[in-house]
Amino acid sequence: MKRGIIHGLLPLLLPYCALFCAGLALTLAQSLGLFLPLGSGEVSIEHYQTLIQDQGIRQSLGLSLSVAFFSATGSVLGGTVLALALWRMPPSLRRVGVVSKVGLILPHVAVAFLVLLLLSRTGLVASVLFQTGIISSPEEFPSILHTGSGLGMILAFLLKGVPFALLLIGAVLFGFDIRLIQTARMLGAGPLRTFRSVTLPRLLPAMHSAFIILFLYAFGSFDIPFVLGESHPGMLSIRVFDIFFQRDLSQRPQAMAILTLMFVFAALFAMLYNRFAAYLDGWRRKL
Amino acid sequence: MKHAPTIIVLAFLFLLPVVVLILQAGAPGWRFPELLPELTFDGLRFLAARPKPFLTALASSLGYSLTTVAVTLAMTILPAQVLAFRSFPGKNLLEGLLLLPALVPAMTFSMGLHFIFIKIGLADTTPGVILVLSMIGYPYMLRALTTGYTLMGREYAVCARNLGASKRRVFLEVEMPQLLPAMAAGASVVFLVAFSEYFLVFLIGGGSVASFTGYLFPLITSSNRGLGALITLVFLAVPIILFIVLELGLYRYHRKRWMR
Repeated sequence: MKRGIIHGLLPLLLPYCALFCAGLALTLAQSLGLFLPLGSGEVSIEHYQTLIQDQGIRQSLGLSLSVAFFSATGSVLGGTVLALALWRMPPSLRRVGVVSKVGLILPHVAVAFLVLLLLSRTGLVASVLFQTGIISSPEEFPSILHTGSGLGMILAFLLKGVPFALLLIGAVLFGFDIRLIQTARMLGAGPLRTFRSVTLPRLLPAMHSAFIILFLYAFGSFDIPFVLGESHPGMLSIRVFDIFFQRDLSQRPQAMAILTLMFVFAALFAMLYNRFAAYLDGWRRKL
Repeated sequence: MKHAPTIIVLAFLFLLPVVVLILQAGAPGWRFPELLPELTFDGLRFLAARPKPFLTALASSLGYSLTTVAVTLAMTILPAQVLAFRSFPGKNLLEGLLLLPALVPAMTFSMGLHFIFIKIGLADTTPGVILVLSMIGYPYMLRALTTGYTLMGREYAVCARNLGASKRRVFLEVEMPQLLPAMAAGASVVFLVAFSEYFLVFLIGGGSVASFTGYLFPLITSSNRGLGALITLVFLAVPIILFIVLELGLYRYHRKRWMR
């Protein structure tokens, strides 16, 4: 019985340990100064100490967190609103939602390219504004990209994230038992009350999972920041890339230390967020 | 038309970009401040003149992405069955841990793994790329298959076993047909994840494994926007064609079984 379970899990556990765990272990070891390309040194946490004192790393962390937060929040809200709007449509019309798959299929690199095409100072939106006489030169177009605020990256993540959230939330919504709502309405609840006490609680789990996935993806992603970001302050992933590929090998442990901290943050975030969401859910039910 | 706003928003968000891409692909010289492009098809001509790097990149990307789908399927089919039907202490924790590769930044483990791959000779090879892509992709396949098994239940399999079917026969003739939709769903996501990835192929493949994302990348910032747009459209077309083929295949398979 017991052996059957272990045998059944082996095809996954073996590669999981050999690739994922071993990769992580090596990242951790190198951050401590072990198993480096130039040989092992002594175990030391000096690279973590340098990181804590580094002003630039704090700015990068702030940028990564804010881009992740705003893009994930916007995606979940946008996806929920779109899902609700599609849900209200007659089923034959609902099929128009299929166009959102464009955002799911296009790779992040391509979405970043689209944002460049549309929103750069010589992009299509600037052309439209120029032709309509709202601006008279490209310089007057408000700079959206490369400002250090991460706005361009957030827009690109939104284009990928909204359809993703729509997919997860729509899956729950379109399988929803309409009689629950009819009952609530018959018992005298208004549309807002029905939404708050009947529809929303059932959507929340999907909204929470979409948020966790999108937040952590944006937090650690590389492709979009590499195209749309700037080097200062630069997302954490770009900083790691710079240290890893453009500086000498002696700085390698620092890149690995950033990665280790990113991993710990991501794992803790996923765990604590889940707990927190479950706690909120239980608390609401008690009310 | 009370639904018009929704349709307009959807079209604005997702159709407009495609239209822009099509126009830009047909008119590489289209730039500020012209509002309407002048069609030249230089991008197409460029591609027709030098098709080899394009085709190599596309074939390589398709090859490693489809292999990744097969590898993740092989990795997760038995574990998904265990996770769906068995209960054991620590199961929730294990499920959480198994989802981690899709949640934590891929950089965190792949950069350490890169060093190991250099030591064992997997760096700069297609198998190395497939292995690392399987790691970030399998959680989607595992989730899809676990859900598929849970929805299916084990009654059919138990019944077939009782009637004397071998384990292999039960899997091939009883479970597989019912699992196909879940497999197709998982496979679509894993394919998209692998086909879209730029960084991991660049890191582990080290430039010797051609990728379609890698082919697009330098075009984005270059002056040849038309070619970039053209390539992006291919990015859209390839998965759509594959999904249609998959959908038709499933439909025909089910019809054939029904007829028998």
